[in-house]
Amino acid sequence: MHEVQPAKITSPIVSLKDNYLRLIPISLIVAAAGIGGALLFSGFNMQRFSFAYLTGFCCLMSLCLGGLFFVIVMHLTRAGWSVTVRRIAEIIAMCTLPMFILYLPILIPLMAGSDEVYVWNQPGWSIHGDAAEKQAVLDASKYPPPIEELKSYYLNRWFFAGRMVTYFAIWGAMAWFFLSNSLKQDKTGDKNLTAKMQKHSTWMMILFAATLVFSSIDFEMSLAPFWFSTMWPVYFFSGGVLSALAAITLICLWLQRSGRVTDEITVEHYHDLGKLMFSFVIFWGYIAFSQFMLIWYANIPEETFWFAWRINPAPDGVMTGWQWFSLLLLFGHLLIPLLALMARTVRRSKNFLVYAAIYLLVMHWVDHYWIVMPQYSDIISDHVGPAAGLAMHFKPLIDIPCAIGMAGVFVALFCLIARDRPLVPLKDPRLGEALAHHNP
Amino acid sequence: MTEKQNQETADQKLVGLLAQFEDPGSLVRACNEARESGYNKIDAYSPFPVHGIDPALGIPRTILPFFVLIIGLTGCAVGLGMQYYANAGDWSPLFPGYNFMISGKPFFSLPANIPVTFEIVILSSAIATFLGMWALNRLPRLANPLHRISRFKRVTNDKFFLLIETKDPQFKREETESQLSQWGASVVEEVNEDLTDQQLPSWLQLAGLMTALILLIPPVLIFRAEGMTSRKPRLHVVPDMDWQEKYKTQTLAPNLGDEQHPNFLFVDGRAMQEPIPGTIARGDLYTDSEYFRGIKSGTESFATISTAGVHTGLQDAAHQDDSHQDEAAKDKPAEPAKDDPAAAPEPDWVTQFPANVHVNQALLERGQRRFNIYCSVCHGYAGNGDGLVNARAMALAASGQAQWTAAKSLNDPETKKNPVGRIFDTISNGRGTMGPYKSQIPVEDRWAIVAYVRALQGTGIKPTTMTKAVEKAVAE
Repeated sequence: MHEVQPAKITSPIVSLKDNYLRLIPISLIVAAAGIGGALLFSGFNMQRFSFAYLTGFCCLMSLCLGGLFFVIVMHLTRAGWSVTVRRIAEIIAMCTLPMFILYLPILIPLMAGSDEVYVWNQPGWSIHGDAAEKQAVLDASKYPPPIEELKSYYLNRWFFAGRMVTYFAIWGAMAWFFLSNSLKQDKTGDKNLTAKMQKHSTWMMILFAATLVFSSIDFEMSLAPFWFSTMWPVYFFSGGVLSALAAITLICLWLQRSGRVTDEITVEHYHDLGKLMFSFVIFWGYIAFSQFMLIWYANIPEETFWFAWRINPAPDGVMTGWQWFSLLLLFGHLLIPLLALMARTVRRSKNFLVYAAIYLLVMHWVDHYWIVMPQYSDIISDHVGPAAGLAMHFKPLIDIPCAIGMAGVFVALFCLIARDRPLVPLKDPRLGEALAHHNP
Repeated sequence: MTEKQNQETADQKLVGLLAQFEDPGSLVRACNEARESGYNKIDAYSPFPVHGIDPALGIPRTILPFFVLIIGLTGCAVGLGMQYYANAGDWSPLFPGYNFMISGKPFFSLPANIPVTFEIVILSSAIATFLGMWALNRLPRLANPLHRISRFKRVTNDKFFLLIETKDPQFKREETESQLSQWGASVVEEVNEDLTDQQLPSWLQLAGLMTALILLIPPVLIFRAEGMTSRKPRLHVVPDMDWQEKYKTQTLAPNLGDEQHPNFLFVDGRAMQEPIPGTIARGDLYTDSEYFRGIKSGTESFATISTAGVHTGLQDAAHQDDSHQDEAAKDKPAEPAKDDPAAAPEPDWVTQFPANVHVNQALLERGQRRFNIYCSVCHGYAGNGDGLVNARAMALAASGQAQWTAAKSLNDPETKKNPVGRIFDTISNGRGTMGPYKSQIPVEDRWAIVAYVRALQGTGIKPTTMTKAVEKAVAE
């Protein structure tokens, strides 16, 4: 390793200091008000509320996983430039563990036998009618085994809960490994800790990929249990990393404007974060389109129905209105940010990046709204019939407070984990490289 | 010797002064000094990228990104346009596109075209970047005078260089040299360009000539092969397209089960399936009613299409599909029985030849030959209904050995009144006991026969010696 001068931290404040004591109650109040308000506006319709809640949860979950990915990949590539922003990503990654508690409002009813959110949580879930009738249909069609029977080996509540516990345990352990070692280095300055994290980031990346693949299928793809898409986990991943980069950028800007970590994060770091956001906008679009086009071209009913429900103006005679959200994603999540983030001067402008990061986070929420909520309108259209239009499911008074509440949850978790810990790895051996980082 | 020396100096031209520096810091400092002293034709050389060298040299940000953006957008438009032209460009008269229906999607459907467009954007951007970089750096150069300086070789190792060109308006030979030394150059050296370097080397000229000659070989071989015959079987480039693994007509469909429990790919066990009722194969949609059916266009109903239609599939579809029969019944007050065509109300036959049938001598001669092949056996060469088959059959019928309806004489006053469309229809689909000929005689030949029949009727040719001979033979 190139021997550098011991890097000097010049900012007077490199932690949240005592502000977190003030921030945590405020953000918790926002969280409680938002989520409580959503519950209230839904008229205690638990099914409708659960879908809005799951939208916000998946939005935040993928963001935290994106943070974990950022930490692992920076160690894996021995990145020097990102050292000054890596602690923020480490804290975001650490949020994955408490996110398990936030999943309990979905998981506990599931274990109690509710199929309101995950329709596979009943025997014979594909067939409408009473339980005996479902069982009769299942028994009658032994050969070939119906797809729901095959899928029920994977999609059953105990295996599902077991997987959930495993995922969160693995993510929490990995995030804690990086955060604790990095914090230890702040005190000791031991370079071996960097070597250790780098060594273990290898197999952790594989483990991260494996858990992300299955968890993304469990969280959101299993809402439509008939559906097949081998591209799904990559789609979930690309949006998650993009939102994590937006969140890191936003947190950096917020910290600097409030007088913390002033000199450590320079325009060069914002430039690199902007470049990564730009590339992940393209990557998201590439993956989203790949998923769509292969299904569109092959035209196989068990794959197309998912997109048909979201893209056709009136699938099954129901005016769902989801095609407007699909268009919003095409333009809002891909084409507009693609053009907006293309220029170098733009990516080096802090003023612009504030809006870009907020915009991308909003679009990330729209993306997950578009994934989760059409499944709700699919369920209710079975009961209500073709009258189940956009008005039946699009209730901003439920969804938007829930999203704001989730943002509050995120800020609270961030402050709880950050506390008065340094927001920059103080004695990282590559800190000097990061401070001197310069884009050609 | 002196002459040669003079020759050399005459070819030499001073292009600049090269200063050597020992470390990147002094190079950047010297660049800054040079820029601040007003030099702008300067360039720095270093074994590795030096941070801050671009602003030190006063190099403006490259315009390459804008160039690439424009070329990329052009590539996007070209890629989309190319696919539109190839897939949906049937309007082009000279080189029309291929309107292939692929899995029921529109000829021009955007999702299918995005990957190709994307690839072309990437390809054109990459090429634009590469070539643009070359162009902006004025590359390629056959020779760079710096390479004549042995000291300069260490630029790839541990030395740093600054070049001030003579083209620079500030350049003054002695003054610049002293300035460079003052800015910390360890060595300052003249850079001379040998004008002979700018000539194309003779080996390159030879190589170019050889390449051109080699490129001539393929067209010569093709030209030679064109005038030759070969006893060798032709080359199969894509064997699995030439010998396809497929199930042929009149064979069994693949059996997915076993012999006890057959499970054919198709329910009826046949490898080839009939077209779906109501479908029409490409090229089989005969919309020109006057030409293909002899009925005035716009007046034909589905029933008349089906009875007078030239396409058997269409006819079958009409027979199978009762709803069409009902529609036909609405059009026609009395639905005729299928077996009794005489009872059918006559369609509105064309009385003139269709526009694309040109009645001329060639057509009449063609019609005569076709008539003599197909029609004369019954109707006779002159159309008097005295063909050989008819004569023989009449003889058999007379002795009670067969049932036979006499062939019509085409010269009857009543028969002469028939419009050409009806004659065409008679040839196509038969009438009474006469069978249909549409499977044997192409449409244009049928119209040729119609024209010839009209000619026969008009001239009223009397029985020829041929028919007399036949009569005589029958009588015996």
